[in-house]
Amino acid sequence: MNAMSQQRKVYGLGAEFNSAADLMEAAEKIRDKGFSKWDVHTPFPVHGMDKAMGLGKSWLSSIVFVGGLTGLLTGVALTTVPSFALYPIIVHGKPYSWPTIPAFFPIIFELTVLLSALTTVGSMFLLNQLPKWYHPVFNWDRFKKVTDDGFFIVIEARDSKFSETRTKVLLQELGGSNVTLIHD
Amino acid sequence: MSLPQESLALTVERFDQPTARKFSSLCFAVSLLGLAVSAFGLVTAREQFAFSWLFGFIVVFTISVGGLFWAILHTATDSEWGVLIRRQMENLASIVTILPLFFLPLLLWCAPILWKWWDMAIGVDPLLDAKSAFLNHGFFIFRFIVYFAGLGGIAFLLRKLSIQQDHDGASKHTLQMRKVAIAGLPIFGVCLTFAAVDWLMGLDYHWFSTMWGVYIFAGAAGSSMAALVLIVTALRANGYLKAVNLEHYHIMGKFLLTFTVFWAYIGYSQYMLIWYANIPEETIYFKIRNTESWNLLSTFLVFGRFFFPFPFLLFQATKKRPIILCTVAVWIIAMQVVDLYVIVLPSLHQTGLRASMYDLSSLLAIGGAAAGYFFRQLSSCNLYPSRDPRLSGSVHLSN
Repeated sequence: MNAMSQQRKVYGLGAEFNSAADLMEAAEKIRDKGFSKWDVHTPFPVHGMDKAMGLGKSWLSSIVFVGGLTGLLTGVALTTVPSFALYPIIVHGKPYSWPTIPAFFPIIFELTVLLSALTTVGSMFLLNQLPKWYHPVFNWDRFKKVTDDGFFIVIEARDSKFSETRTKVLLQELGGSNVTLIHD
Repeated sequence: MSLPQESLALTVERFDQPTARKFSSLCFAVSLLGLAVSAFGLVTAREQFAFSWLFGFIVVFTISVGGLFWAILHTATDSEWGVLIRRQMENLASIVTILPLFFLPLLLWCAPILWKWWDMAIGVDPLLDAKSAFLNHGFFIFRFIVYFAGLGGIAFLLRKLSIQQDHDGASKHTLQMRKVAIAGLPIFGVCLTFAAVDWLMGLDYHWFSTMWGVYIFAGAAGSSMAALVLIVTALRANGYLKAVNLEHYHIMGKFLLTFTVFWAYIGYSQYMLIWYANIPEETIYFKIRNTESWNLLSTFLVFGRFFFPFPFLLFQATKKRPIILCTVAVWIIAMQVVDLYVIVLPSLHQTGLRASMYDLSSLLAIGGAAAGYFFRQLSSCNLYPSRDPRLSGSVHLSN
């Protein structure tokens, strides 16, 4: 490690594992130790990792529900207010009143779907803090394997349980190799 | 996750034979009672009997054919989640094999009452003449045979192969079942669609809707998933199928949600297009069903089949609580009964709802026989495919 990187802030400790199964086992132990600011990195999605990491249910569905509800109400308002009150036009001999509201269902439905979808994509970006142009983990050379055959755990320094020495020992005990200090 | 491999060793479960015989006899007794009342109706009030019996028949038909759909879908897509539940899909589907028996009274004594075209001569109605290549006795009976040969054949084959695997554990049965299921998908679709057209759309030969088959399918698939939820819960309550957990309930709940929305989507699309286009031959269907007291029942159906169960099925927390899911499942089956009642009976009582005891007796006669047969099927084999290669995946399901 050169002199310059030693002056830079420590981002966290990274460790490499041999397989998805080893990674999962290690993740369960780190979860049980009570760490909260850490992440795993794999070349492919690993089923059940959310539970192994102790992640709770995502907030996404609640946000999308609100988005969908907004779309629904917008649709109802945009169709009924002008047609019932502001500017009623009779088409096909069908007067506008509650029994003929099925004519508006496509618009209400589409707006619900549209706002739900836009909220989903938007919240996904926000919750994942995307787009992100810089991330300290890429300062670690071995991390490039993550798109090929590398399985990594990175525990961040801002975690209250983090300690450069003890966390390093912990990662080694869990079967991690090439345990490395990553700088910001 | 990553449970130890030892927990895979499930004991082979079988439903207790004497209990099954007891339940089965009880169901057959109820069925006999219904049959006696219905037979009285056949003699004294044939018109009412005809429509009531068709109603009872179609309720049981859609629920069991829905079971066949889930069995076919699960097998064809090589699914893993419901291997523990698949045997119950197969048992439910096997009811289809006894149903042609219950269609015979309609064919023998009631056809001209139900399907007005049955006794009409060529040249009387140009609209019928144009359809006579399809609507004639020979082809109708031929199609009736094809439906039950097709649907019953697939149901029988899937269950047979599945049980064979319990005995010898050969993986070739899985491959054979997948072939049967994939071939079965189009057969199922065609048979159910045309059965719905023949028996229900044919109640008014003037009327037509291109979405009819899909509409009947949507109700069938949803209500039989509700039936599966209830069957699995009843088995669990009696100490069976303990390997079924909340993850399975979650998935079944998702399917219930899917088909609640799908039913509404299809039902609405059918209604909106007919209402908007305003063609007399088409609108007559909804005109009758929105006349007098039928209007109340139709409106109730819209709220009962969609708006009421929707919020309960939307959230993960409620889907993972079996007591809530079961309540919704009972409700959905009740709504399926109402749906089919509003489809069949207004053809007879065009001026408004007039309930008859034969409606109930038909439902009891056919439903009781189907339930009795189901208990026999239930106890004649293992409660889940005990040697299916994907069983462990289903036991350790997470979603």
